[in-house]
Amino acid sequence: MSVVGAALAATGASCAGGVLAALAVPRARRALVVGMLTCVAGACATVAGAAAMLGHTWAAELPGLLPLSGVVLGVDALGGVFVAVGGAVAVAVALYGIGYSRHGLDGRAVQAMVPVFVGSLLLVPIAADVTTLLVAWELMALTSLLLVVAEHRRRAAVASAGRWYAVMTHLGFVAILIGLLVLAAPAADGSFAAVRAAAGALPPVAAGAVFVLCLVGFGSKAGIVPLHAWLPRAHPEAPSPVSALMSAAMVNLGVYGIVRVGLDLMGGGTRWWWLLVMALGAVSAVYGILQAVVSSDLKRLLAYSTTENMGLVLVGVGACGLFAATGNPVLAALALTAALLHLLGHAAFKTLLFLGAGSVLHATGTRDLDELGGLRAGMPVTTAAFGLGALAASTLPPGTAFVGEWLLLQSLVHGLPAPGVATSIVLPVAVAAVALTAGLAVATFVKAFGVGFLARPRSDAAAAARESPPTMLAGMALAGVACVVLAVAPTVVLPVLATVAGDLLAVAPPVSGAVTVELAGVTGALSPLLLATALALAAALVVVLPRLLVARRARRAARLWDCGAGPLSARMEYTATSFAEPLQRVFDDVLQPVQDIDVTHHRESAYLVQSVAYRRLVPDRVERRLYTPVLAAAAAWGRVGRRLGTGSVHRYLGYGFVGLCGLLVLLVLTR
Amino acid sequence: MTALGVLGGALQAVLVVVGSPLLVGLMRQVRARMEGRAGAGVGQPWRDLRKLLGKQPITPRGTSELFRVAPVLLVAMTLVVAVVAPFVSTASALPPVADLIVVVALLAHGTVVLALAGLDTGTAFGGMGASRETTILALVEPTALMAIFALSVPVGSTALPAIVGSGLQDPARVLSPASLLAAVALLLVVVAETGRLPVDNPSTHLELTMVHEAMVLEYAGPDLALVELGSAMRLSVYLGLLANLFLPWGIATEAGVLALALGVLALVVKVAVLGAALAFAEVFLAKVRLFRVPELLAGSFLLALLAVTAAYFPA
Amino acid sequence: MTAALYHQLLDLTAGALLLTAVLVVWRRDLAMIIRIFAVQGVALAALVGVLAAHEGSVELAVVALGVLVLRAGVLPALLRRALAAAGDDRRETRPLVNVAASLLAAAALTLLALAVSAPIVELAPSPTTRAAPIGVAVVLIGFFVLVTRRRALSQLVGFLLMDNGITAVGFLVTSGIGLVVEVGVALDVLLVVLVLGILTGRMREVFGGTDLDELRELHD
Repeated sequence: MSVVGAALAATGASCAGGVLAALAVPRARRALVVGMLTCVAGACATVAGAAAMLGHTWAAELPGLLPLSGVVLGVDALGGVFVAVGGAVAVAVALYGIGYSRHGLDGRAVQAMVPVFVGSLLLVPIAADVTTLLVAWELMALTSLLLVVAEHRRRAAVASAGRWYAVMTHLGFVAILIGLLVLAAPAADGSFAAVRAAAGALPPVAAGAVFVLCLVGFGSKAGIVPLHAWLPRAHPEAPSPVSALMSAAMVNLGVYGIVRVGLDLMGGGTRWWWLLVMALGAVSAVYGILQAVVSSDLKRLLAYSTTENMGLVLVGVGACGLFAATGNPVLAALALTAALLHLLGHAAFKTLLFLGAGSVLHATGTRDLDELGGLRAGMPVTTAAFGLGALAASTLPPGTAFVGEWLLLQSLVHGLPAPGVATSIVLPVAVAAVALTAGLAVATFVKAFGVGFLARPRSDAAAAARESPPTMLAGMALAGVACVVLAVAPTVVLPVLATVAGDLLAVAPPVSGAVTVELAGVTGALSPLLLATALALAAALVVVLPRLLVARRARRAARLWDCGAGPLSARMEYTATSFAEPLQRVFDDVLQPVQDIDVTHHRESAYLVQSVAYRRLVPDRVERRLYTPVLAAAAAWGRVGRRLGTGSVHRYLGYGFVGLCGLLVLLVLTR
Repeated sequence: MTALGVLGGALQAVLVVVGSPLLVGLMRQVRARMEGRAGAGVGQPWRDLRKLLGKQPITPRGTSELFRVAPVLLVAMTLVVAVVAPFVSTASALPPVADLIVVVALLAHGTVVLALAGLDTGTAFGGMGASRETTILALVEPTALMAIFALSVPVGSTALPAIVGSGLQDPARVLSPASLLAAVALLLVVVAETGRLPVDNPSTHLELTMVHEAMVLEYAGPDLALVELGSAMRLSVYLGLLANLFLPWGIATEAGVLALALGVLALVVKVAVLGAALAFAEVFLAKVRLFRVPELLAGSFLLALLAVTAAYFPA
Repeated sequence: MTAALYHQLLDLTAGALLLTAVLVVWRRDLAMIIRIFAVQGVALAALVGVLAAHEGSVELAVVALGVLVLRAGVLPALLRRALAAAGDDRRETRPLVNVAASLLAAAALTLLALAVSAPIVELAPSPTTRAAPIGVAVVLIGFFVLVTRRRALSQLVGFLLMDNGITAVGFLVTSGIGLVVEVGVALDVLLVVLVLGILTGRMREVFGGTDLDELRELHD
């Protein structure tokens, strides 16, 4: 048995142990034991994934486990990336969950679900036949759904979010099911090797339909506009560790599905497929970040940022397919490397951010940024962690997301002299979308960090916030270390990712270098490590030089400038809503916010204002325009259908009788 | 890392730190003369800095470490740009950092740090300045990247030394429509990012119109000196970039004393002329309303997009 | 004239054509819009002049002169007179699509023009046909201005932008339409502007404004 096999077996065993422990261990110890076992599972999976990325493959068949086809497992380098990411996220989240579970999440069912969810997350990328993939996918959907609704007794919004998630995820599942079945129809059996060999036999129209169906199904899991409606509901309402698992690990599998089916199983396809992927990615990125920038709910903001980042990853995947289809595999591999690196970085910082948001939620009981502020005094470690995550997410050097975005832009810049009018229009528009996203992401995370954690507390709850227990901090620290490593030394993983991408497209790795990220085939180099060193040196110089020139005097504390009108209160601060107001006005036409201003006058005089109430709501426009009509139509159908069911048994029997006779008549007529 | 690069980098750092307050002084002087005032002289910003540096440092109550660190980071980030970008010589001190995307993002990072410091004070002024500055930054970014894209496509690289070097070798490319459109777009980017008219008025202290000044209102003493120095350095770095991307002539390509001296002279003249022209134009401009700024930026974005298409569809 | 210089001049004049069209979208002040339109006339005349110099054609040179007189002299003068008659209301205050969005739309239209004229360029790739998409872009932007502006005068400018674009495309693609055709078209345009000028004047006398949205009330 190879390293990969042994590590995966250990993962499976730990997950199973976690479930048993959740059922058997008493409540006082339950969270600790389950958390540690899940942690071990995650660590083993990370090892397995890393080994697979380095070229150790592994395959196994367990024929008795499922009827008809059995379970077929196999890890290749591409699957290894997703196994490693999922495992690493699980380690940080499980550690964090030990401390977090004290707040009413240590029931048997919830604790048992966590290892199953983690196991199913890891099972999807190692499934090596269609049936196994579908079963793993469904298992993942069901367990995550149960975890989303874990707190449904406390908040009514949870149930609604759960319903949205359940319906959307199953519609996506149906799309994948149909797509994969059509894809597997000409193959000898359902294994990926057979499907890959037979994919060429599909007529172009059928192949296009399969790809679009899979794009819809997998894309809905990745939160791609317009199939994102569940994401900003389910991710915020789930318990924070589950939010982190979903936002940092589960959504990635949507991208995995698209890459696996489109690039690997179907071998590339034609240009319009990938133009479609790019367009959807660009729209998702811009729309997601626009909603995030005006959102004042911390977790909702993070959820929309997930849509944005998955959009960016899909721009990379689309560019990869496009370059491959136009005969430039080197650039294609570069674009795929960029997408994979961004995915890795997103997993790291989104874990950190959601865990940080969870700590805030637990210390203050609110996710509303307008009520937060001043947390740096009570929760210094969480503040530092969230600040690090915000820097990583905001595509500024030296940040985690910056390297991925730089690579993506490099592939787009070098890809522009590509043939075809559609390509030459889509590429600049994609660059514009990426650029707009980058700018708005900066604004979003300045708001989230600056308003949420700095300044002075805007509510009593925020003023009373205290730091989280050590296990939660340890979970955040792990994610934080991953962020720093990916930001400063992305070269640790980049050559491996480049090999994975290069192998998939049958070219040499497009990126190399130990300190400097160097591109192969095109000119371009970037060294985050040198940049960070230079910044540190420059900062030291700036601190030291003035002290040499001028004698240093002691610092004195002074009053803030209050225009001479007495002490400033928290009510005079800028809130998240007011911070985002200029941007909201600029994008008024796109966002169409609903504003409501109530002015109450004094009883004595109509000229004296007693109070002004301002409310602003930014409804999701795509949802309102697209989903409301569909839901209304479904409801209308339902009303029609209700007329058929009157409760009379005779009627129901009669339907069966009429149906049978009709069928017989049809048989007679068509014979 | 070459000898020329290291020499040039050290020269540039000194030049930017020493010269940027003089540039601000020159621009104020031009403006004063245009308005019929005598003006305080070109050296006034340096005299201000010296005075501020000698004062006692003050920490407003309720602010955190971030507030104290922000000016240092601002100057440090600008300093790194001043060292790595090709201002005096085409070789860079740190070639893997001298990428146009990195440089522009690093300069934006300086703004972000100050915006966080503004929010950290918890005053209405700080929040207002931070909010406005961040809004402008978010809208400027697309234009900046599109202009970069337009400049990089013909060269096939986003590395600054490559772009400047190709401009030197092929003067016709500098005068191509793509390059001219990108120049105008980048000029608007520079105006918006450095808070000049018509986007922001650097000399206002009126609450309703302040952007940058509102954000740094709580700074005093040596901290304020660093903020002022940082702003001045940003201005000169941006103008230097603009000058060398579109008018690269005079920049040193080899490590001789004469070549470097010529490079320094050329940079000083180019930046001084650009700064004076900017100050001259500002006399005739009024600050636009904050909500008209997006129109300006949309216009510059359009120019940048046209530059990209012109770069790709050479007529 | 060397090939390189010809190329550069062609680029420059075509670029000026597009840039002025964009500026018309950008600015609100009607007097400024008319001035920009006059500059566009100069650019168009220069474009034709460059073609004339390249081909050594006297006929084209005459056309260039005609274009200059009509589009940089006569038409702007007429527009200015109409504006002077309009009184204080000299700004396009509320276009149907706001300015920032209009500018983005102009960007999209330019890309569209490049996309649709790609086949034409491929048919006979030469410096002149490669500049033709810019003419198409000017036509589309002119149409956009015509559709989205409320003031009759700025709509008129939109119409004239379209005409400039069509002329430019004509010269670039066919390397010179006949003198007679150009003169005929020019006369038509002049006539249209005169008629519209009189019409707006009458409208203002009768209704007191030239906001075209208000005309809808006539129908109701």
